[in-house]
Amino acid sequence: MSDEAVATSPEQQRALEAFYFREARLLDNRQFRQWLALLCEDIRYLVPSRVNVQVDNRQRDQEAMLSVERELEGEDSRGCPIREEGYLQLTLRAERAYKINAWAEQPPARTRRLVGNVELLAQEGSQYRVISNFHLAYTRPGCANALYSGQRRDLLLAAGSGFRLQRREVVLDYAEIALPTLGLLF
Amino acid sequence: MLTGSAGTWRPADLVNGDASLISRRCWTDPQVYALEQRGIFGRAWLFLGHESQLRNAGDFVQAYMGETPVILARGGDMGLYASINSCTHRGLPVCRADHGNARRFICPYHNWSYTVEGDLVSIPQEHALQHRPDKRELGLKRVPRVASWRGLVFGSFDPDIIALEDYLGDMRFYLDAFLQRFPQGIEFMGAPHRWLLDANWKLPVENQLGDVNHGAFLHSAIIPREAQDTIEALGYSVVTAPGHGATFRLMPEDAPVDEVAWGMEGLGGLLGGEEVQAYLRDIQAQAAQRVGPLRARMKGLTYGVYPNLSFLWSNASFKVSHPRGPGQVEYWSWAVVPADAPESVKRALRTNYSSFFGPGGLLEQEDAEVWVQQFRGSNIDHADDHPYFYGLGLGEERPHSELPGLVSVTANEFYARHFFRRWRDDLQAAREDR
Ligand code: FES
Ligand SMILES: [Fe+2]
Repeated sequence: MSDEAVATSPEQQRALEAFYFREARLLDNRQFRQWLALLCEDIRYLVPSRVNVQVDNRQRDQEAMLSVERELEGEDSRGCPIREEGYLQLTLRAERAYKINAWAEQPPARTRRLVGNVELLAQEGSQYRVISNFHLAYTRPGCANALYSGQRRDLLLAAGSGFRLQRREVVLDYAEIALPTLGLLF
Repeated sequence: MLTGSAGTWRPADLVNGDASLISRRCWTDPQVYALEQRGIFGRAWLFLGHESQLRNAGDFVQAYMGETPVILARGGDMGLYASINSCTHRGLPVCRADHGNARRFICPYHNWSYTVEGDLVSIPQEHALQHRPDKRELGLKRVPRVASWRGLVFGSFDPDIIALEDYLGDMRFYLDAFLQRFPQGIEFMGAPHRWLLDANWKLPVENQLGDVNHGAFLHSAIIPREAQDTIEALGYSVVTAPGHGATFRLMPEDAPVDEVAWGMEGLGGLLGGEEVQAYLRDIQAQAAQRVGPLRARMKGLTYGVYPNLSFLWSNASFKVSHPRGPGQVEYWSWAVVPADAPESVKRALRTNYSSFFGPGGLLEQEDAEVWVQQFRGSNIDHADDHPYFYGLGLGEERPHSELPGLVSVTANEFYARHFFRRWRDDLQAAREDR
């Protein structure tokens, strides 16, 4: 994304960050149903697949040669994103966590999300296009510890005194997927 | 670790006669692993890729044969070539991209360059020297056998291996129930998802070969009991040859089209709307004509082709379990879709795979977890006299009048016993002729 951030007032920036900090807290506290309440019901939730691409000779000496976009097999690609989900799938994930037989996370993972680099890229009416970075530390009994890192490209909708999430694309930083699962709520 | 020197144990010590008892060492021992690399991955037909990824001259994809990196390419003569991705000069990989189109592979270190077929075409240093090496002798090492069946491309390091058609044998009957259902066959979507797991390569294989039964238990947070009961009531498990197997449902002749049609039971089919569902119904309407009335009623679950290829019919995915030492696997999976479907339908149907399978899949995150835990459970001391029990349903499989192979209910673990019998015999053969 070549987009530049737009100017925000300190209040606006604080409101955006407050939304993300609360979201991270809900997820780390395993309050997934409260997290669902932050979503628009028509949410698109995407995790593109990341591939090792061939250098395009015609792009040599240009920034485009190294663009992150070229590495992503996203929803408009002819490849296969890791996840392409809506409210239904996210609800399945959230509700599954409270079943006593959800073995993949029994005992549950201990996670800690740090969200930063929050930048407003555009605002049109009540829609806000926002990017942020995250680190997610993951530890679970019987499982190697993991550190996830990535960028989130969001579309937020102003709602009441806060926001709701309408679209999220998670660009994960991995070469090979040496992580226990990409099924988390990033 | 198996005690003593390499000469003091036999594969028959690890897998008993009827393969109802399987040693923990099968999964964890470095000597066993080394023998697998030679006796199985050095000899068998191994899956490399699909022709839909290689439409034009110069198209290539990366693959692995065991731990050996291979480039599979469409040559200038439109033939298929597989070469080991390692420069003849000092061994660097000459290709780094997952897939693409190339005229030459140029080695980064000293720029020896190779054609996509693997032939060496230039040595920059030679102009300064008096003696010019014979480039014909110095190409990338070629995989001696490459063959394609219905677009599925396999390679083997054994120049004398039997023909691929014969190797697949009666698995072709079951694979065709899917592959021939679509007027133009199938297409692989993009690069595989590549997932490193601290597990042994054989457990994902065994799981996909016939372990339908775990669904009701491991996946009970997602799969309702009634759904699993229906699967098992209509379910068959088949072994066409040791190590090859298929599980599927045979739907009643009067079952409604929406219950039989491939693709309808995935989220892509369910949520895809009228366009997707009309496409799937249309395909099912042609099924009897394309694959015959019996196979038209087949609704597949999981398939396995020895040693490490899996196909998940119900969730539209091909998978390969690449060994990375006894305790690690690099698991690859691709979404597969009908080649003739409109682009929008393909995009909807790929989520039949990704919603539940792959590294972000709701179900497969549970499978991955138990595969890792199984390695932990196997890699322990003081329990070697306590092998795993593989005897469920021993001897209960039978021939069938219409279905090729040995047939039984899905709770019968004969698919795994047959796999381990072949595995044991392959290891024994490798020991004998070294
Ligand atoms: S190592 Fe490949 S050119 Fe030298
Ligand atoms: Fe499973």
